[in-house]
Amino acid sequence: MLYKNERVITLGKKWGLILVFVSMVTLIACSNNNKAVSGEWSPKESIEVVAPAGAGSGWDTTARMAAKIFEEEGMIEQDIGVVNKPGGGGAVGWAYVAEKAGNPHHMFIASPPIIDVPLNGQSQYDHNDFTPIANVIADYGAFAVRADSKWENLNDLFEDMKKDPSSVTIIGASSPGSMDHIQFVKIAKEAGVDIKKIKYVSEQDGGTLTALLNGSADVYSTGVAETIEQAKAGKIKVLGVTSEERLEGEVISEFPTVQEQGIDSYFVNWRGFFAPPDTDENAIDFYVSKFKELNESEAWKEIRKQYGWDEMFMYGEEYKDFLDEQKEESEQLLDELGILKNE
Amino acid sequence: MGGLEGLLSGFQVAFSVEGIIFVFIGVLAGTFIGMLPGLGPISAIAVMIPISYGFDPTIALVMMAGVYYGAVFGGSTSSILLNAPGISGTVATAFDGHPLAKQGKAGKALAIAAISSFIGGTVGIVLLMLFAPMLASVAIAFGPPEYFALMLVALTAIASLSEGSLVKAFISGVIGFMFATVGIDAQTGTPRFTFGMTNLLSGIEFLVIALGLFALAEICFLIINSFKEKNNIHQNIGSLKLTKSDLKEMKGPATRQSFLGFIIGVLPGAGATIASFIGYIVEKKLSKRPEQFGKGSIKGLTAPETANNAATSGAFVPLLSLGIPGSGTTAVLLGALLVLGVQPGPLLFEDEPTLFWGVIASMYIGNVFLLILNLPLIPYISKLLLIPRPLLISLVITFCMLGVYAISFNTFDIYLLLIFGVIGFLMRLARFPAPPFILSFILGGMMEQSLRQSLTISEGGLGIFLESPIAMALFIVALLSIVIPAFKKKTIT
Repeated sequence: MLYKNERVITLGKKWGLILVFVSMVTLIACSNNNKAVSGEWSPKESIEVVAPAGAGSGWDTTARMAAKIFEEEGMIEQDIGVVNKPGGGGAVGWAYVAEKAGNPHHMFIASPPIIDVPLNGQSQYDHNDFTPIANVIADYGAFAVRADSKWENLNDLFEDMKKDPSSVTIIGASSPGSMDHIQFVKIAKEAGVDIKKIKYVSEQDGGTLTALLNGSADVYSTGVAETIEQAKAGKIKVLGVTSEERLEGEVISEFPTVQEQGIDSYFVNWRGFFAPPDTDENAIDFYVSKFKELNESEAWKEIRKQYGWDEMFMYGEEYKDFLDEQKEESEQLLDELGILKNE
Repeated sequence: MGGLEGLLSGFQVAFSVEGIIFVFIGVLAGTFIGMLPGLGPISAIAVMIPISYGFDPTIALVMMAGVYYGAVFGGSTSSILLNAPGISGTVATAFDGHPLAKQGKAGKALAIAAISSFIGGTVGIVLLMLFAPMLASVAIAFGPPEYFALMLVALTAIASLSEGSLVKAFISGVIGFMFATVGIDAQTGTPRFTFGMTNLLSGIEFLVIALGLFALAEICFLIINSFKEKNNIHQNIGSLKLTKSDLKEMKGPATRQSFLGFIIGVLPGAGATIASFIGYIVEKKLSKRPEQFGKGSIKGLTAPETANNAATSGAFVPLLSLGIPGSGTTAVLLGALLVLGVQPGPLLFEDEPTLFWGVIASMYIGNVFLLILNLPLIPYISKLLLIPRPLLISLVITFCMLGVYAISFNTFDIYLLLIFGVIGFLMRLARFPAPPFILSFILGGMMEQSLRQSLTISEGGLGIFLESPIAMALFIVALLSIVIPAFKKKTIT
């Protein structure tokens, strides 16, 4: 155990001087108050946050930003190290955290793939194997087409897809049965498209937008943030976003929601933090109070605005119920697609 | 003219004291990151993102870009000295760079690599500056069918990379392909050849195979040979100086590959690796003495080193002019821009001319820094080879293990590394060449995915390849590069 934590510290050392310098400045700047509030438990050593994907991914960004604010604002006194464990759409990182059962100095960042990937049969662990701490943000999906596309709204698109689902190529960055695929399928199903015949192409080397622009694919299923600049430049049209209400902000407030086009559905890309299996309740209470503090801080609000994330704070029973609902929903969709793996 | 004004303000930022300091920090960090296998520019930039929060966006991007091209610049060192390619873009550098080092010309090899990198990088920047906004349409010309065709062209290098038996080269290539299929299949989500092991779900890391097949296999040989004979090949660094005839040899490949490498770099997803391999085979095909390739040819070292650096400059075209990330590293750079409050996209050129031109202008300075940093360092770095053999061997083994472990902090990768070390050693004993293995491993995954993406789009019809003029042209090039040498051989014998 000790060895692992030493590693987190040496990891910091590699990025040496700058990091040390910056943290020293912030330490001096923030050396005010904030002693641990919850008396029952507080971290005794540095905390390791696993991002089960590569550097720069959505998980990685959320985790690094949260860790940064926890440290800079002095909310948590111990060091927080973000470690990337990419692979298997998350499965490699989950297996790693599962081994840390009962150890309250570890956690990982999760989102819908922790539900979908196990259902696809690619991970032996699902959300029930871990201890949910708190959900922090919500992000939404967007469906984009080329600016000169014949479709003006989602109904145009789905009319064509109802006639011949395979005449349209959908492209996304996740593997089939995971986020970009599922968010499209969920909406298309509600619109009455035969989802078994949807043609979904997975492009994981960063070529999704290129494929849309040069005509290899017709519809790009992705996150809202990825579409903003291209839409602003008039290269693409966003036919719909999966949030329940219109998003706020420049450009994105012009994106119509799925619901206002008469399709009664939505999709949330929630992101939250989970602890290893069997983590002590007192430790969870400690973290929940810290995430509450984070959620309300000005610094975090600024970060949310920067990335276009919505506030979505949940913990305890509420969060668990939400996760179970999400699982049920995904199960149905994947079953219908024929990619559900039963144990 | 807006463009000229933008360029001037860009140069102003780049030549400011702050600009110069941060480009220096960037390229210095990049050089060292490139030299150490395992530490890549991606993770370095990701770690810099939270640190650079609140920086002036131009300055932050100048520094991060410096890390990126600095790493490609510095990556050649371990390929040449230790046969241990640290990033996939410098695998081809080892083919002729390491033999040169073995012949006691390590200093010269490093100097050639540094100068070629400088030429490729600088020509790339000039092209980037002149044509970035115009090349945007080239960057999106390639869809799945075109990528498949491009991979096929790169794959014909297998025939070029074989010394001796062509059959053995093909067998080696096929095995490389087979290893590329391990992991979750992107198109169906099905795990393939993982044997229920979570560690294999994401496939095998490139670095594990590269260090195993090249560096560890080399070490095994060194150990065994040291029992047999006492040879001093590695004890000599040789002169740093390049003769006139050396420069003359470098001239052709450096000129051609600056342009070709840049164009391949512009294509999102192709990047430095493909550019270096294509550069290598093109020069081998053009050379009057192709038999020297693989045995320490100056042309064979100049070509990939020029091409990979030119490609790195090229990779900034889709990033800066379209907001499309062309590689893993540029994707992280894109994310970094977002944090800094800059929206990367097709409007960047108009909205943020200072940033757009500032980064490009700083790359000139960065490349000059890299050259003056790297050249004087050569005598010291190449002294690595003067370390007593047993110590050097243990250092290289440790170094490889650390590098592999640093990718995802997984001890499983270290075991895999050792397995590939043994495979590499056995392949050498049986005279199976390793380069085709690594080439088809790198290309295999992308090639399979682009083929299957094409076929999903066309619903199984092969017409999708015939309809694309670019793909057709590339298929013809691939065909010719296989047929012509075979035909030549027949007419000679």
